[in-house]
Amino acid sequence: MLDIARNYSPMVGATITQVTRSGRPSFAQGGFFSASIAAALSIVLLAQDAPRAPLAPHIESSDGAVSPARSPRNANYTIEAHLDPDEHALRASEAIVWRNITSKPTSELRFHAYWNAWRDAKSSFLRERARTDPATHEDDEFARLDITSLTVAFDAAAGSAPHDLTSAISFAAPDDGNADDRTVMVVPLPSAVAPGESVSIRLSWQARVPRPFDRTGVIGNFYFLAQWFPKLGVLEEGGWNCHQFHATTEFFADFGVYDVAMTVPRDWIVGATGVERSRVDNGDGTTTHRYYQEDVHDFAWTTSPEFIEQVATFEPVDRADRAPHGRQSPVVIRLLILPEHRSQAARHITATRTALDQYSTWFGEYPYDHITVVDPAYQSGADGMEYPTLITAGTSWLVPRELTVSTPEEVTIHETGHQWFYGMVASNEFEDAWMDEGVNTYASVRAMLDRDVKSYYERRFFGGFVPWVVRDLELARETTWDRLPGYRRTPKSDIPTTPSYRYSPVGRIITYNKTALWLNTLERMLGWPVVQRSLATFFERWQFKHPKPDDFFAIVNEVSGQDLTWFFDQVHRSSNVVDYALESLTSERNGSNFHTEVVVRRNGEVELPVDVRVTFENGEVMTERWDGKDRWTQLALDRPSRAVSAQVDPDRVQLLDVNYTNNSRALAPRTSEAATKWSLKWMAWLQDALLSWAFLV
Amino acid sequence: MLLAVWAVTLATTIPLALLVRGAIREQLGASVTAGRVADGADADWISEFANGATGLNTTFGPSVIGFAAVLDNASAFMEGVARPAAITATAVGYLLLWTFLAGGIIDRFARDRAIHSDGFFTACGLHFPALIRLAVVSSLVYVVLFGQIRPWLLDDVFERLVRNVNVERTAFLIRLSMYAAFLIALATFNLLFDFAKVRLVCERRYSALGALRAAGRFVVRRPLGAAAVYLGDVLLFALIVATYALVAPGAGPAGPSMWIGVAISQAYIAARLWVKLVFWGSETAYFQGTDWS
Repeated sequence: MLDIARNYSPMVGATITQVTRSGRPSFAQGGFFSASIAAALSIVLLAQDAPRAPLAPHIESSDGAVSPARSPRNANYTIEAHLDPDEHALRASEAIVWRNITSKPTSELRFHAYWNAWRDAKSSFLRERARTDPATHEDDEFARLDITSLTVAFDAAAGSAPHDLTSAISFAAPDDGNADDRTVMVVPLPSAVAPGESVSIRLSWQARVPRPFDRTGVIGNFYFLAQWFPKLGVLEEGGWNCHQFHATTEFFADFGVYDVAMTVPRDWIVGATGVERSRVDNGDGTTTHRYYQEDVHDFAWTTSPEFIEQVATFEPVDRADRAPHGRQSPVVIRLLILPEHRSQAARHITATRTALDQYSTWFGEYPYDHITVVDPAYQSGADGMEYPTLITAGTSWLVPRELTVSTPEEVTIHETGHQWFYGMVASNEFEDAWMDEGVNTYASVRAMLDRDVKSYYERRFFGGFVPWVVRDLELARETTWDRLPGYRRTPKSDIPTTPSYRYSPVGRIITYNKTALWLNTLERMLGWPVVQRSLATFFERWQFKHPKPDDFFAIVNEVSGQDLTWFFDQVHRSSNVVDYALESLTSERNGSNFHTEVVVRRNGEVELPVDVRVTFENGEVMTERWDGKDRWTQLALDRPSRAVSAQVDPDRVQLLDVNYTNNSRALAPRTSEAATKWSLKWMAWLQDALLSWAFLV
Repeated sequence: MLLAVWAVTLATTIPLALLVRGAIREQLGASVTAGRVADGADADWISEFANGATGLNTTFGPSVIGFAAVLDNASAFMEGVARPAAITATAVGYLLLWTFLAGGIIDRFARDRAIHSDGFFTACGLHFPALIRLAVVSSLVYVVLFGQIRPWLLDDVFERLVRNVNVERTAFLIRLSMYAAFLIALATFNLLFDFAKVRLVCERRYSALGALRAAGRFVVRRPLGAAAVYLGDVLLFALIVATYALVAPGAGPAGPSMWIGVAISQAYIAARLWVKLVFWGSETAYFQGTDWS
């Protein structure tokens, strides 16, 4: 079913053509006229391409090629996968051409076999998950990935005879020694792969698709398949970086070319990394979709007969704040949205365009010219995840008109932003998750709320189905959603330099919240132009590479022209907290002047420079800088007017301060007024609560 | 009478409100933040207060603002959200107070003329022992309903029904049907206990079980009439809640406008109390006006 509509984009000033296609017959919302056009187009397309199933009438995009090559392309995958929805099973053959791009030979290969994390409850993933979620798992929640054959041929270009190494496969547990974990597969080689040498690996495997688990699996007829194939780790100068799958980590891989053919039931819509190059009706009730993409480090896909497909374009416009290397070509946005969220399609597309516009302007080019946005099904657990050129959004059936935490904008912008910090700047998410999640959290909220867009506090009631926006509570960009409250709850849960896979179960607070908060502090210290240039430089130098934390810090130091090691030492290399307090304020007449004394105290261990500001009755304001190193300091002022108030860090530069209320004192505080007002509101809440129960008497 | 029950409700809640006020005062100290939150709302301050809150004070949050308070309580009622011990104890005391007052209130409705406070409290005292016994029986039923049936419906049955549902609106409809099933069961017993109280007072019964049996006979013989009276009262309640949704005061500044907000919220509380009285009044009138023998 086709539906063509015109949609105007105020964000980029472009006219957008949207094309809608659904996996299931349904009547377009546009009424008889548009339905007739759609039907006519369907007939034309079917007539032109029989017996192939009709390709979606895409707005022109590339075929997944990126020219010139942006990455080393040293891990290239060709996969043919068959999905059996009745058995919830995948059968696949996989060919990998891998090149050793280090300066040292390797005598083994290491693969991730992520789905074995749900093979049984003894895996490291499920043992770790059980610390916070002790629920037992039903049979359909388990998955497995079984290799049925594996061969390796050296000197792939020369086509040398392959070695059958299936029986040599073993499993390793480099992180925790768990002998029951089978998420890292080791294949010893008959001879070493020299630097610059390539090997050709062929695998046959089958997998059981679990009920959704950590963003992959099946629920009903919705499949989202991520981390689904045996995938090589990253060979570094020090050896293989191939961690086990942990409950708190994401992923890390080398760049390459992915050419993947997926066979699914006919009429099911497929969305995947890359661009669809062909679609073949197999005549047996199945269709094979072949997707192709160069210069990516992962491949995810989804399929369901329920998707409604909408296609739009992002047309970049000139902006004065564009990074020097931030040229951008148009990008095709393909949205696969489910019927219950169809009314939110425009919000998804606008959010994607916002992210493409802001990130390409601020940080640098998005080189792929297409992106697929997948609206995940309820209970699919696939919400809010990033994959190269494909993201999953996340929304609810009932969402407020205002921008809140549950509306599609935040997650869509965040995941689109990951195309830069994860997709292209491919840091190691196992070890330094903050480098993509924290940096991108900072950047995506900035992108979302950059243009006087307001966000509000929202609570969901009745099992989470019913939203309510508290419009009195507008959220600040720097602390929006749970950034600050979340961090305050567990500020010492982990030192950020700890490898992410060893984080505590609440470690995401450090990864996301703490990083975003200190980046906002950096912005308030250095200014947005410096932070923007730093991130743009970081992106320019490290796109299609694997940067380490020190690479990031070095660039900030270089761009800012300051040695900020003291800052990174405190916010990144320690779990100490910031807490400055205004301990006392006095202001008494002394002759013709008033003698004002302010005592400021450092309660936390972090030592950062802070301003101390005193405001006087005559409107005079005095601000002094304190280096914040001693436990306390005293400020003595003789001024013609009495002090009204004093504040430490009045501009709230130190967003990691765990207690901001104690940062100020007023000589005539309005504490009683405030306490009376809020306790009266609480009393009405309590009375309502009591009356709910009085219903029973 | 409405003024009296409103005063009782106010008196019950003021001590706890003073405790919360004290905690807010202590947390704000002499800060400049106090002025900011006196003038409006500050999400960061609320979250900072919540992070340090314990016991009773953990219930202070964004949900106390405006109509969110009603949704929060209704949702907690349906979802079985536990409240801190101080609130639970206050609620138990409040329900006991209502049990005591019920005799006088229903007696007043039954007489359909003004009675002095002496007569009112005499009736309260006279019927209190039997009403307490009835309250014990009703408590047992409600414990089963809230402790067993609700979690069974909303946790076990719901989870089983939606386990493979991948459409949220379908899951929501299933949840609504669970709510409906629970509320129908709750309303049925509530109706029965209401008429038991009416019969207990109007007929000066001393046996709670006898009153319950008599109420059962009455409801069985007049199911449509009893249900219509009850549903009419429920609609009245819904109308009041809907009206409050439109006028519920937001955070607002301290000062005169704050007191307008307080007046609106207390008018809403008074309206809910009035509906509670209307329930008993209409049920008493229906019982007295029905030739059911």
